Amino acid sequence: MNVLVWLAAILFILMIVIGGKKGARSFVSLFLNFGVILLIILFMADPNANPIILTVIGCTVISCINLFFINKVNSKTKTAFLSTAITIVILLIFINQVTKITMIQGFGEEEIDELTIFSLYIGVDFVKIAASVIIMSTIGAITDVAISITSPMLEIFIQHPTITRRDLFKSGISIGKDILGSNTNTLFFAFFGGYMALLLWFKDLSYTIGEIVNSKIFGSEMITIFSAGIGIALIVPIASWINAYYLVRSREKSNK
Amino acid sequence: MKVAINRLNKMLSKNIILFSIVTVCFVTSMLFVQFNYSFYDRPIAKIIEINLKDSVQVVDMHNNRDELFTQHIIAQIKNGQEKGQQIHISNNYSTSGAYDHAFRVGNELFVSIDKQTKDSRDLTGSISNVKRDKYILMIMWVFIFVLLLIGKKQGFFSIVSLAVNALLLSFALDVYVNNSTISLLWICGITIILFTVTSLLLVNGFNEKAYAAIVATLLGTFISLLISYLVIWITAGNGLRYEEMNFLTRPYEMVFMAGLFVGSLGAVMDVAITMSSSIFGLYEKDNNISTKALTKSGLEIGKDIMGTMTNILFFAYISGSIPAIILYIKNHTSLSFALSMNLSLELARALAGGIGIVLAIPIGLYTSIFFVNRKRHKL
Repeated sequence: MNVLVWLAAILFILMIVIGGKKGARSFVSLFLNFGVILLIILFMADPNANPIILTVIGCTVISCINLFFINKVNSKTKTAFLSTAITIVILLIFINQVTKITMIQGFGEEEIDELTIFSLYIGVDFVKIAASVIIMSTIGAITDVAISITSPMLEIFIQHPTITRRDLFKSGISIGKDILGSNTNTLFFAFFGGYMALLLWFKDLSYTIGEIVNSKIFGSEMITIFSAGIGIALIVPIASWINAYYLVRSREKSNK
Repeated sequence: MKVAINRLNKMLSKNIILFSIVTVCFVTSMLFVQFNYSFYDRPIAKIIEINLKDSVQVVDMHNNRDELFTQHIIAQIKNGQEKGQQIHISNNYSTSGAYDHAFRVGNELFVSIDKQTKDSRDLTGSISNVKRDKYILMIMWVFIFVLLLIGKKQGFFSIVSLAVNALLLSFALDVYVNNSTISLLWICGITIILFTVTSLLLVNGFNEKAYAAIVATLLGTFISLLISYLVIWITAGNGLRYEEMNFLTRPYEMVFMAGLFVGSLGAVMDVAITMSSSIFGLYEKDNNISTKALTKSGLEIGKDIMGTMTNILFFAYISGSIPAIILYIKNHTSLSFALSMNLSLELARALAGGIGIVLAIPIGLYTSIFFVNRKRHKL
């Protein structure tokens, strides 16, 4: 049997044994997300489609799956969704500029050998695709930070019903600070694990530091890591502010 | 009141020192990459003029339409013997830009100068790469400033731990490349222990919470690695397409396993520290809380993070293959071929990482409870 089928089966069993119903939902969400990515890829292959707009739509659907499907629709997930959307838009504007000036789109010279049999002039805009790849790599982390901030904030709000908006915002920030480090770490190791072969290749051919820093693949790798970090950090104040605003307003409304 | 003011002053002066150190680093490094041409051996040229010569519509054998352009570039050499001279380069690019670039005035390029024109006044040559160091550094500083601004002390520590881990990884790979007799898995095993210890102690300090997380992380990663190793061994690697790694002259199965090892580590660490800090948090709030109650709330927390954590790894791995899959599809390969060629290793990484994450939940829970109970007996 196939390695992937085995691994998926083991993961499925473990998720159900440990997570019960929620574990099953988490597993299904992986499949749904895979489907969304596939659809985005198929649409992006059309030269007339704008990859940036497709990414925004795709990210919206993915955050719906990650927030509403796994955790159900409630005030926590609604504010998390709103803050994810805002962060994605800000990040997308930034990354779109970055991919333009750094010219990291498409394929590097290290990858091109195996692609020589293909026609490279296929009419799609690889610069925009590069921007959407970076965003898509971090969407999982951004929704994770969003829900990790809004859900303990609600707990604090329930335990201290008279808390001011400012204090609530501050507690959100301090929760965010704690998860900032571990989340950037998660992504960092994931990317470097994925690019282990490439790093070895650089070492084997004894690339100089100058060559590594300026190479397209390494550059896009670093930009992905940095943009992911920026996204994770940005969503902390955004989610804290939106959630504090929403919770305090709903209290004022119910008091009237 | 006086104490408070003193404290505030102290904090401010500390921050001012830190702030000025960061600013000095920022300014000097930015100045350095602006004028570091002489540090490169390869000639660098800055574009001063561009003329678009012609453009052609092309249709390839799969009916993909694209437009090809030729631009004539005049650039000024910035380093080496030819410094100050002008170089003429012709550059072809397409609208899609999969392996070519549309350059603008002001871009800096690494060029190779044609030998026979070296003595004449007007040099010709070709482009070998784009100079990207300036922009990478700029984005790195944006990252550092955003993290410091929002994360303050924790932001600072996470930047430090990223830097330490990057150095560790580079050092470990150096050891492997220079001593081919040592197995990569052994090197990675030792490096992983170092990664875990430094990252968790740096962010959390020396306390039982961190110790519990370290033990849980190591157990979780090693067990999940064992499971993936067994699966690959039983199926003889059926379904994994190592083609995308075959530029390596090394045993790529080993390299893949090592990458799997390192890749899932961050996520497992994250789960382990989340579990241990919430268990210890519950214990500190109520010293008499029963083990049963701890297990129950621990499992609830675990269920909450399971889905989002596996999704983090999933997206981090899968997204990178999007451009290659699009290229395959547009070249009319079958969808299943495009997916299996480009995604099999990534999916295996994501699934193995997911197994690590899920396993880390009970392992993290029980090691934390073990440490809590040990603390109880001591009291």
